[in-house]
Amino acid sequence: MLTLKLEKQESYSRFELLMRAMFGWLYINLPHYFILGFLQIWGSILTFVALITLVFTGRYPQSMFDFQVNLMRWTFRVQARGFHLADGYPPFSFERSADTPQLEFDYPENLSRSSALLKLFFGWLYCGIPHGLILVFRHIASSFLTFIAFWAILFTGEYPTSFFEFNLGTIRWGMRVSAYLGFMTDEYPVFSGQENKNERLY
Amino acid sequence: MRDYIKVEIPQPDQISVREKEDAMGAYLMMFASLAAGLPFPGINLIAAIIYYTLNKQKSKFVKFHSIQSLYSQIPVSTLNTIIVFWTIYNIGSENSFNMYYWSSFLCVLIVNIFYMIYSILAAINARKGRLYYFIIFGEYAFDKAFLDKDEKTEFINQPPRI
Repeated sequence: MLTLKLEKQESYSRFELLMRAMFGWLYINLPHYFILGFLQIWGSILTFVALITLVFTGRYPQSMFDFQVNLMRWTFRVQARGFHLADGYPPFSFERSADTPQLEFDYPENLSRSSALLKLFFGWLYCGIPHGLILVFRHIASSFLTFIAFWAILFTGEYPTSFFEFNLGTIRWGMRVSAYLGFMTDEYPVFSGQENKNERLY
Repeated sequence: MRDYIKVEIPQPDQISVREKEDAMGAYLMMFASLAAGLPFPGINLIAAIIYYTLNKQKSKFVKFHSIQSLYSQIPVSTLNTIIVFWTIYNIGSENSFNMYYWSSFLCVLIVNIFYMIYSILAAINARKGRLYYFIIFGEYAFDKAFLDKDEKTEFINQPPRI
């Protein structure tokens, strides 16, 4: 079960907001995505290796699973800054910390081998295309809302709650699809960015 | 006179599933270039080096399999890289694919088939918590993983050699 947790701040720093909006690409995106790019390549190799293991043993190797979760956690922290959902600089680390956006993913002891093969050959068709299409439009909407939220924060210091939830939902939705197509879960991603009712909070 | 340090070879029931999976993963690095979608055999070697670096501290069992995978990957990747560049050179020049090329290609192909079979066997054995020794590389990997270069080592139990 994938859980993303990010508390909406009482107030947001206008200075950080302006800095992120003007120079965020330089001091957040560029260094983080440079490193994340290499980690993604390694993650792709591990996904392939995990797939082979999964098909033969029915298990996703736990170390590889932990790496993928850590990678998602890091990406989530950077994405949260991209949408202005959180202040502060995302750490260059896999480590959890209480003051940063949280992402947890329960390790599944066993996964379906047939489901893994189905995802390998037809995942793009029954999951990638439908979710991808919606996520494209959702990202456009999120970009628009982020732009409006920028002005709202600039003048009031607060992020509109509904915008916050929508943008967080966009990230959550994307993460669920990535996890499913990355063979980390058998649970088909819901067509929603809402938090699952049975997701446990950390 | 220095005392011998006593080292116990881990037996299958003493090794956690996680360690077994980590050890098995080392041999699956031979699919790295396939996973990356690039026809460069050097990627397999780089992946094996990264995997070894990330896993060598975990346990001696994992270290043994990681380093054996890495050592065995070096000649195979080198041969594959030579063949890939030779092929590219032949395509790019007016040289034809002569007998020397095809005989070398066949040799490398046979080496790869053997390497793949051995790697799969090693991966299966690693998953079962066993040590599996490649020809030549197995001895080196064992010494590197289990022997302390600064201390004299005495084994409490025997490694399951084949």
